[in-house]
Amino acid sequence: MSLSDHVSTPSMVVATANVPWAAPPEIPKLPPREWVKENLFSSAFNSVLTVVTTIILLAVFRGFLSFIFNPVRQWNGTATNMQLFMTRAYPDEQYIRIWFCVAVILILTGLSMAVWQAGSTMPIAGLGRKLLATGALLAILTLLAPFSASATIQWLAAALAVAAVGEAARRFAGRGEDERTVSTLTVLVVTLAGLVTSLWVVPYGHHTYIAKRVPRVLAEPGTVALTTKLPWTIMLLIVVAAYFAGRLMRDRLPINPTRVTLLLLWLLAPPVLIYLVLRDPSFDMGHVVGTDLPIFAAYAVGGAALLSWLTRPSTGETGRIVAVLVLVVGFCTFLTPMRQVVRLDMLMLAIFALAAPTFGGGPRARKRYIFGWLGVLGVMSWLITSINTPSTVTVPGGFFIGGFSITLMVAIFTIVFSFPLGIALALARTSSMPIFRQLATGFIEVVRGVPLITILIFFSIMVPLFLPRGMHLSEVTACVIGYVLFSSAYLAENVRGGLQSITRGQHEAAEAVGMTTAQKTIFIVLPQALRVSIPPLVGHCIGVFKETSLLAIIGVFDILYIGRIVIPGQTEFMGSTRENVLFVSVIYWIFAYQMSKASQRLERRTGLGER
Amino acid sequence: MTDATAAEPTSGQTRDLSRARDMIVCEDVSKWYGDFQALDKVSATIKEQEVVVVLGPSGSGKSTWIRCINRLEIHQEGRIVVDDVELTNDLRNIEKVRSEVGMVFQQFNLFPHLNILDNVSLAPIWVRKKPRAEAESQAMALLERVGIPEQAHKYPGQLSGGQQQRVAIARALAMEPRIMLFDEPTSALDPEMIKEVLDVMKALALSGMTMMVVTHEMGFAKEVADRLIFMEGGQIVEQNTTDLFFSNPTEDRTKLFLSQIL
Repeated sequence: MSLSDHVSTPSMVVATANVPWAAPPEIPKLPPREWVKENLFSSAFNSVLTVVTTIILLAVFRGFLSFIFNPVRQWNGTATNMQLFMTRAYPDEQYIRIWFCVAVILILTGLSMAVWQAGSTMPIAGLGRKLLATGALLAILTLLAPFSASATIQWLAAALAVAAVGEAARRFAGRGEDERTVSTLTVLVVTLAGLVTSLWVVPYGHHTYIAKRVPRVLAEPGTVALTTKLPWTIMLLIVVAAYFAGRLMRDRLPINPTRVTLLLLWLLAPPVLIYLVLRDPSFDMGHVVGTDLPIFAAYAVGGAALLSWLTRPSTGETGRIVAVLVLVVGFCTFLTPMRQVVRLDMLMLAIFALAAPTFGGGPRARKRYIFGWLGVLGVMSWLITSINTPSTVTVPGGFFIGGFSITLMVAIFTIVFSFPLGIALALARTSSMPIFRQLATGFIEVVRGVPLITILIFFSIMVPLFLPRGMHLSEVTACVIGYVLFSSAYLAENVRGGLQSITRGQHEAAEAVGMTTAQKTIFIVLPQALRVSIPPLVGHCIGVFKETSLLAIIGVFDILYIGRIVIPGQTEFMGSTRENVLFVSVIYWIFAYQMSKASQRLERRTGLGER
Repeated sequence: MTDATAAEPTSGQTRDLSRARDMIVCEDVSKWYGDFQALDKVSATIKEQEVVVVLGPSGSGKSTWIRCINRLEIHQEGRIVVDDVELTNDLRNIEKVRSEVGMVFQQFNLFPHLNILDNVSLAPIWVRKKPRAEAESQAMALLERVGIPEQAHKYPGQLSGGQQQRVAIARALAMEPRIMLFDEPTSALDPEMIKEVLDVMKALALSGMTMMVVTHEMGFAKEVADRLIFMEGGQIVEQNTTDLFFSNPTEDRTKLFLSQIL
């Protein structure tokens, strides 16, 4: 609006808006020595601070490096048990399933990066400076580390090589107008390719842990086992291929349906991969045809007929009463013994019925809504059937998977389920209906006043005792329910902050065009509120991811439990707790940091702060 | 002014609306905010196709009154009947009235996360249940009418205030209302942009829309309004046809107000 000060007519507003502003005068970059003088040694006191801090930093680094490279450290324990860390005792002969899941995730990642145009360009000069700095840092660390002379020389040579590549890139980069840039994706792929190549070339050592043999640990010099380096090479090729396939899709296919399909695939991937691929249920065809299919068919036909009537604009008030009746029936099914799937399907139908007047209307909208119901019902029936079928993968001692896989799995399910629940709680808490408001407030305040670990212990030990006969809940499922309840209470508070940031004018504008409360919430309020809440919500997701480590306390074999209890308990690696816990922390940090970076990119892309 | 003829339809003063049907009827409408009485027995009738401008100093209850008419505010006493539907707590009546009454706000209140086309077509699609293609072509036609079809795929934040207010008018018109309420539509605009909005409103008045406008734009009132209502302290002090209101105000308070602003 500041434009209007300089122009007189509306047509000129458009014209001037297209003219770029004059560039501000360039601030000349200080030469290194001046920069150091200005920023580090500008006064006597600052000089002292700089020197003291540097000495402290060097001492800390030296201590840390002497810890890592101390010959007493048993890093062999970590290297040998890498498979245990990632998947616990998942059987070797079935391991192809794990790689299949990784491949599916990577394909989706590659496709999505292309379709959403991830990545940007960075100047080669900047990349060169980064490499140069890395080389210098590496050299300093090498000198600090307690290395033998030959090791020091090798590391210094490596540092020199990195710095040389950086300097070459800087020379090559050019200046001013014809400054060369490079895509960040290229940098990423080259880095990954370098890492994968190093698996084939660098003698990391060949470590294997074979439980059935004595001695159980096989540690030989050389490169890593073929069962490690070959799959990772294939994975790299797959993700690159998927990226290029995604670019073709972006160019050839309509963009919005492609994106919606990809999002649906992302949503479907975790349950399908975990419950169908990794768990490999042995379907009993007689039971499927005799019981599961008829139930599905009944709900499909009956539900579609009901929704077809409910979505008709002429149905009116009777439809709402019928929808509430379906909900009441859904709750009543919990009072009598009945198959779980019948109850869950009925509740899902009630939700669809309640939302029908909001999304109904013309023939196309109605058709889309009914197909949505059939899709959700189909996926739900499929999953419930496969969850209720015993697994063919036999794993000693409890749950079929463990280690980092269970950490990820619990985190993903918690986040996916606590989002809708948390949003519902936030809406209920800000609702004008007192019963909803008080229920939500009560729930949130109770859950927030109790430590997470007590909730987990309660759910893992107590809840199975209270379940009705014939209903079985695995310990991990019980914990996920506990996590979801805990996480949704906090998530609700984050969303509530976003809801309160929506101005009264937005509510009034939506009401003034005749929207119902549901339509106003879905189309106007929630999209804006969630966008405002992105930073706290991502912070919350990182929190959930890290809090999965509490599983270790109640004895679930997650990555921390394996690092802290299982590996230090192996006779070969007695007392290697410190190394393994340090390794686990690094794994947690890598993922949490990537989530944090992703949230910053998301904020930039959604243009937060420029509403 | 007095010799305006039927050949000049812009000055609505000469129109005879006595036989038109009543669109808005307010009878003894009162409202309190806590102990403060915002509206005090406001009674007025607005005919079909009539353009009424509500004047008055700040805090006189003009905005409160106009917002009661589509129940953004709830009146506590009296009756409001809009197009034969009485406003009560019955949700169905409120929804019915709101889909008949378009409203334009001082602060535009466009939806910042939707582009201009979606801003205009959202309510027709979901409230009127129109097919998307039809709603979007209607939205484009409305954007042509308010003079900014080329901005259809931009976001509200990228438009000037005047353009945003014109989009807000198009958004209200997309619901095909029978009545339009304007709550100080030009008060948040820079002087250069007021004209573009008033031009759209004048064209709308000419097309026969029933309009109730709270504004301080005397030029607009003189040129377009059929009737003026002057409020103070939550009461209607004086109401009269436009030429009589300006040429021969009866109340002292009205005279004082006119002497200060003219």
